[in-house]
Amino acid sequence: MLLAIIHDAFKNLSGNLLRSGLTMLGVIIGVASVIAMIAIVEGGQVSLVNSIERLGTNLLFVWKKRLTVEERRLYAGRWTKLKYADALAIRQKFPELTVAPVDYFDGQIKAGKRDFSGRIYGTSPEYSEMRNFFPAKGRFITTVDIQEWQRSVVLGSTIAEVLFGIESPIGKEVKIFLHGRNKKRDNSTKKNGNSTKEGKKEQPRVGEYRFVVVGVMETKGESQGKDWDEMIFIPSTTMIRYFLGTDRIGNLVIHVPDRNRMDEFSKKLNQFLVQRHDGVDDLRIHNQGEFLKTVEQTLWTFRIVLGGIAFVALLVGGVGIMNIMLVTVTERTREIGLRMAIGARRQDILLQFLIESTTISIIGGGLGIILGIVSAYGFGNLVAQALPGGGDWGAVIEPPAILIAFTFAVGVGILFGLFPAIKASKLDPAEALRYQ
Amino acid sequence: MALIILRNIRKVYKTGNLEVAALINLTLNIEQGEFVAIIGQSGSGKTTLLDILGCLSHPTSGEYWLDGDNVHLLPDSQLTTIRNKKIGFIFQTFHLLPRKTALENVQLPMMYARASRAIQHDRASELLTMVGLKDRLYHYNNQLSGGQQQRVAIARALANRPALLLADEPTGNLDSQSGNDILTVFEQLHQQGQTIIIITHDPLIAQRAERCITLLDGKIMSDEMAHPSSATKG
Ligand SMILES: Nc1ncnc2c1ncn2[C@@H]1O[C@H](COP(=O)(O)OP(=O)(O)O)[C@@H](O)[C@H]1O
Ligand SMILES: [Mg+2]
Repeated sequence: MLLAIIHDAFKNLSGNLLRSGLTMLGVIIGVASVIAMIAIVEGGQVSLVNSIERLGTNLLFVWKKRLTVEERRLYAGRWTKLKYADALAIRQKFPELTVAPVDYFDGQIKAGKRDFSGRIYGTSPEYSEMRNFFPAKGRFITTVDIQEWQRSVVLGSTIAEVLFGIESPIGKEVKIFLHGRNKKRDNSTKKNGNSTKEGKKEQPRVGEYRFVVVGVMETKGESQGKDWDEMIFIPSTTMIRYFLGTDRIGNLVIHVPDRNRMDEFSKKLNQFLVQRHDGVDDLRIHNQGEFLKTVEQTLWTFRIVLGGIAFVALLVGGVGIMNIMLVTVTERTREIGLRMAIGARRQDILLQFLIESTTISIIGGGLGIILGIVSAYGFGNLVAQALPGGGDWGAVIEPPAILIAFTFAVGVGILFGLFPAIKASKLDPAEALRYQ
Repeated sequence: MALIILRNIRKVYKTGNLEVAALINLTLNIEQGEFVAIIGQSGSGKTTLLDILGCLSHPTSGEYWLDGDNVHLLPDSQLTTIRNKKIGFIFQTFHLLPRKTALENVQLPMMYARASRAIQHDRASELLTMVGLKDRLYHYNNQLSGGQQQRVAIARALANRPALLLADEPTGNLDSQSGNDILTVFEQLHQQGQTIIIITHDPLIAQRAERCITLLDGKIMSDEMAHPSSATKG
């Protein structure tokens, strides 16, 4: 009996292929959009959280703050911004924290005839572990490098290849040269006794210094808008001494051992630094954990908005089913009357039309799953090609999402098919038989 | 006890404020095995009577016994079962389902009676063979002539071995040759003991029945046995 009804449903649907197809299209689009939206948001989540976690977790960043006009007036030139000494003071005050100062300048690095122009970073040994970024060959910057202003350099994997090809760069000599402001910097280094002692004669160019390659970093790729493999590291102290000439530094990266104490340390550090800076609040502390939270909150907003759109699409598909089923019931009034006359019970009629609408939604749901998966991957590829560093925004398709979308589609088919089916089952047999 | 007993049947249609009495205090007995024609002008209440006899609608008042069942007291759901088991319908417009073969159409009442697929198939082909459609089992409606379609409908009406065969203007949509063939089928069924009621407005068709009841304005105007000569003729 049930089999015969299902068979009938298929016959009726295939008897009017165009109409059934168009009705299904609503469900197909609805289900496909649910799946694609979930897959894309999940993909974005994985990609963003991954790239944040790849940069190291439990991190606080200290930056100098851009002061407003009022603040400038208030502090009347007393602001000092971030100094190398701040890093040392924090280490002393909070021994449980790991602190790495970070700054950079744009320069050129030369090895024999080959050279590369890029960003040269000055930092401390702690940086490597904090950013989850380790040397593949040789070593990273060491405490000795820092203490003795060693002219040691660690190369990103791309840089090593550009400068040395397949040769091992470890122990080789390179020259680092500060772009642009070299004159001014050169003057400042002159005041420094140390540079006159060992620098002057070796320099074929003003502001150019010999360094020894001590390590090559592992390959890390691109993320957060920078290519990690094009980074060049030298000790902070060396950078200050030879290139910057001032102990102002760009930022501090601070690792908090316990994720739950991020907020606490963020507040403590702020207090400590304001105090150190004579009451001037000229620094900003950025909490990586909070950043992660913000990203996740944003993703939830996306989920709700996109999910809402997909949900509406599915409902519209359901309304399409209801509409076409009502037309079908009217068209087939005489058939319903005849079936009742020869012994169809009301529930048989109800079941017949319900199975028809459910069949539409099951087939539509199935095709929608396929379309959803295809378009989610299509979108993933599109993002990968469109955005530099968006390469890992793959669509993430999870079986529960498919199950939910499919169940929902079938539910919509049943729900919206119910009214027409009830309408059909309530017909009066004598009247239905003679319906014109 | 008679197969059909109607006592003081009234049927009143209400359309807005307007009440139309389609049947007025109709009383009638029909015995098992009778071949009855009900005739009357258009609007005399023939179709209304067929609906009541066929358990498609309840009378407004009065009593109806069919094969011992107290139809006027039964709920809708049981009327469905009675229609399925005890009544075979034949309509002027055939009412075959589209996109179904002759065989599938004949199987339909048995499907609703929850008969097994094998039984459905065997009984349906047997009936179609009986009405002369042995080689049309898998034809669709649009591949059959009107007379053939009506014979499929007769086979369908007989599927569950009904106590009563109810035909509403069965030849109305047919040419005289096919109509005649259909009446011949009815006569054969009658000879096998099938109770048949044919509703028609055509006196010539009514003549081929055993008994002829004439309706006028919802009442029985005459109820007479046909001449024995006309019953045995042909
Ligand atoms: N569904 C209905 N609603 C209102 N009046 C009806 C309905 N069906 C039949 N009638 C009226 O009942 C009377 C008998 O109709 P009907 O039984 O169809 O007669 P016949 O079949 O002999 O032509 C007519 O006057 C008709 O107008
Ligand atoms: Mg009529």
